[in-house]
Amino acid sequence: MAQGFSAVFRKRAPIEQAYILLLLIVAISVVTTIVNRRFVNPTNIINIFQQIAVLGIVASGVGMLLVSGHVDISVGSQVSLLGVIFAMLIQKILGLPEGNVAPWRQTFVYPIAFALTFGIGALVGFVNGVTVVKSRANSFIISLGFMSAYHGLALLVTGGASYMLFGRFETLGRGRLFHYLPISILFFLGVVILSYLILKYFRYGRFLYAIGSNRRAAHVSGINTDRVVIRAYTVVGILNALAAIILISRVGSALATTGDAYALDALASVIVGGVALSGGKGGALNIFLGVVLIGLIGNALIIMNVNPYARDLVIGLIIIAAVTLSQLSESRS
Amino acid sequence: MSSTAYILSMREVSKSYPGVRALDRVSMDVAYGEVHALVGQNGAGKSTLIEIIAGALHPDGGEIVYEGNTYTHLEPWQAIRLGIQTVHQENQLVEELTVAENLYLYELPVHRGGVVDYAGCRRIAQELLQKLNIHIAPEKKVRTLSFVDKKLVSIAKAFARPVKLLILDEPTASLDECGKDILFEIIRSHKAQGLSTIYISHNLSEIFEICDRVTILKDGQKVATYSLSEITMDEVIRKMIGSSQVTLYKRERACALKKDEILEVRNYSRQGVIDDVSFEVRRGEIFGLAGLVGSGRTELVRMMFGLDPKDSGTLLYRGQDITPRNPYDAIQKGIGYLTEDRKGDGLLLSRPVVENMSLASVAKDNRLLLNLSKEYQEAVMLTERLNVKTPSIFQRVVNLSGGNQQKVVLAKWLQTQAEILIFDEPTVGVDVGAKVEIYRMIEELVHHGKIVIVISSDNPELVALCDRVGVMRNGRLVTILEGDEVTEENIVRYAMGVCEGMEVSG
Repeated sequence: MAQGFSAVFRKRAPIEQAYILLLLIVAISVVTTIVNRRFVNPTNIINIFQQIAVLGIVASGVGMLLVSGHVDISVGSQVSLLGVIFAMLIQKILGLPEGNVAPWRQTFVYPIAFALTFGIGALVGFVNGVTVVKSRANSFIISLGFMSAYHGLALLVTGGASYMLFGRFETLGRGRLFHYLPISILFFLGVVILSYLILKYFRYGRFLYAIGSNRRAAHVSGINTDRVVIRAYTVVGILNALAAIILISRVGSALATTGDAYALDALASVIVGGVALSGGKGGALNIFLGVVLIGLIGNALIIMNVNPYARDLVIGLIIIAAVTLSQLSESRS
Repeated sequence: MSSTAYILSMREVSKSYPGVRALDRVSMDVAYGEVHALVGQNGAGKSTLIEIIAGALHPDGGEIVYEGNTYTHLEPWQAIRLGIQTVHQENQLVEELTVAENLYLYELPVHRGGVVDYAGCRRIAQELLQKLNIHIAPEKKVRTLSFVDKKLVSIAKAFARPVKLLILDEPTASLDECGKDILFEIIRSHKAQGLSTIYISHNLSEIFEICDRVTILKDGQKVATYSLSEITMDEVIRKMIGSSQVTLYKRERACALKKDEILEVRNYSRQGVIDDVSFEVRRGEIFGLAGLVGSGRTELVRMMFGLDPKDSGTLLYRGQDITPRNPYDAIQKGIGYLTEDRKGDGLLLSRPVVENMSLASVAKDNRLLLNLSKEYQEAVMLTERLNVKTPSIFQRVVNLSGGNQQKVVLAKWLQTQAEILIFDEPTVGVDVGAKVEIYRMIEELVHHGKIVIVISSDNPELVALCDRVGVMRNGRLVTILEGDEVTEENIVRYAMGVCEGMEVSG
């Protein structure tokens, strides 16, 4: 009887987590609206989604990786590095805006820039994955090392300066469909939906859960755990390339530090969203709601005229609260 | 004898874990100047008992009388201060420190001001080692020592502090003949000073050589204490096994064996672990693997499944080489392996029943997408077939009982349609009802022509279930018992190496 009750309770647990998040999102929205009516303005809502689009893409990769029980805190540096490479390629190929540009350069600049940025993104993720798997070391520490390494690489590429796009390639980050819906939001939602499908319907997604839940059991059951984990890191790298391109398109220039903040925010989103740090739990809905919550907090603080510097403080406290709560409920069961 | 003749008296000491009564009102007296042996099969309660004496565990009931003082329990520091020093079976030395530092780790001699006096430490270590007749340089790092020397250092460590009651847990497991002689000399001189030793070993001839009395444990209960001059080795074994116990389960022996369809296990070896093991399993029989914990049973089957590296070994089925390179390959070739450690490498505890049941099959089929409806159907079917008690197939496995968890692992391997199934301790931590159901299932598999190997420490289980039983000892397959030879007594004899003739031929 007692077991039956707890069983029913447990089965609903993940849904409850999503409810709590939704509730929190609604609560913050209501409070913010009371303080400032402008918040519920459709323009502001779309604005929020546009702001979190890049974060959402990065967080989807980080979230799927975390489902397998692995962490990558170098994603911020990766986005910075990939952004710098993308912007550099465009600037080097097209030159300064006043100069004449050969037609082949006009034709091939974007295919080359895309191919190289995505290629390097995949390579960076692959290298992270192989290192984590082969070293058998804690993924947090390994990716801490890579965070510094990629940051250094980005600095070397830029020489400390920035690469400008001079108004080229604005569509992806700033463009709007029917002059209304930002294109970047479509990419964000697309990636979230893809994550949902992968985690729920693909063999690869199931492997991620299995490895996150019990790597040794997954191995005994015939899963090539090393290969799956390397793939998860590679996916993170590829999504970071997409995020970097959208980010640079929106900002219009690339510094060696442009994407650094995404490491903390992405990890915060997936943890607050309910993807267990130990792996094996959580889904695309959790990632999505976590991203929305983190984005909302930033926006709400600005709308409510709170000192914007308080944002990181609030997010830090929320991470601590979320992890503490999930740890408590974990040890209770 | 008056009670003052005893250094230690355990009185009705009990200890329970969820679902297991590890010790049930065990009483035992250890006299001054006595070497007292403690024997029993795996899980008899030896370790629990000595951990209680050493203060590492608190008993649920009973009392401990030590040198005339009564305690309900001891703390580790208290036991050490009272002169109870334990030499554990596994190496507990700090590898990166020197022998001298390890010996006096907790009471390093210091200069005034608290700075460690390394020279003094080395000097007293040298004196101690000399006194014990152990020839190891105290300035050597433990990491550089051989297994035998490490064990001798562990033993010496017990003497670095005042010792009145010495507890030795399987001390000769990693000692050679020479090391054993040194140890026995130490025990004898310890005894000559009127001090006591508790000696745990699976090696009965050693016990008869060095000990005065023996206490026999079985299933957490004390059978009796005997003076070793009034009992024979055979009698000790018989007492360890116990009197004719009610057999829980008895199966019909296999009748029609297909001689041509056999699994041949050939020349499996790994240096220092498994020594050239070969045997055959016929289709339609249950082959048991017995042996003490650490005899290499699990190591052998892990190698057979492609989980652990091996130096040599081939698996032939129907004459074809099916030696797996890794678990994936093993599953493709129709082998299933239910691991010994259900929670460690069997289950995804945080995932639902359905995902656990389909895990190996999903890994086996190289498809991009999952077939969710087929997965659900299979899970529902297997849940019914194995009578898994769960509110739904979406229940997380962590919430199931031990027996039902084991059935989920069983279901995982049934779903892969494996032809060869290896069960490693299939009924550990499983309640009696589920046990019988698992036996029935294994039997049914054999009837359907599967090849089945069962590893178990529960010898009555092997006797009840298996047609033939291979017994392992120190990494070697010492015998294969067949027909009427399959008795608990024979298994224990061979596992403990008591049959002298066999030692030579094996």
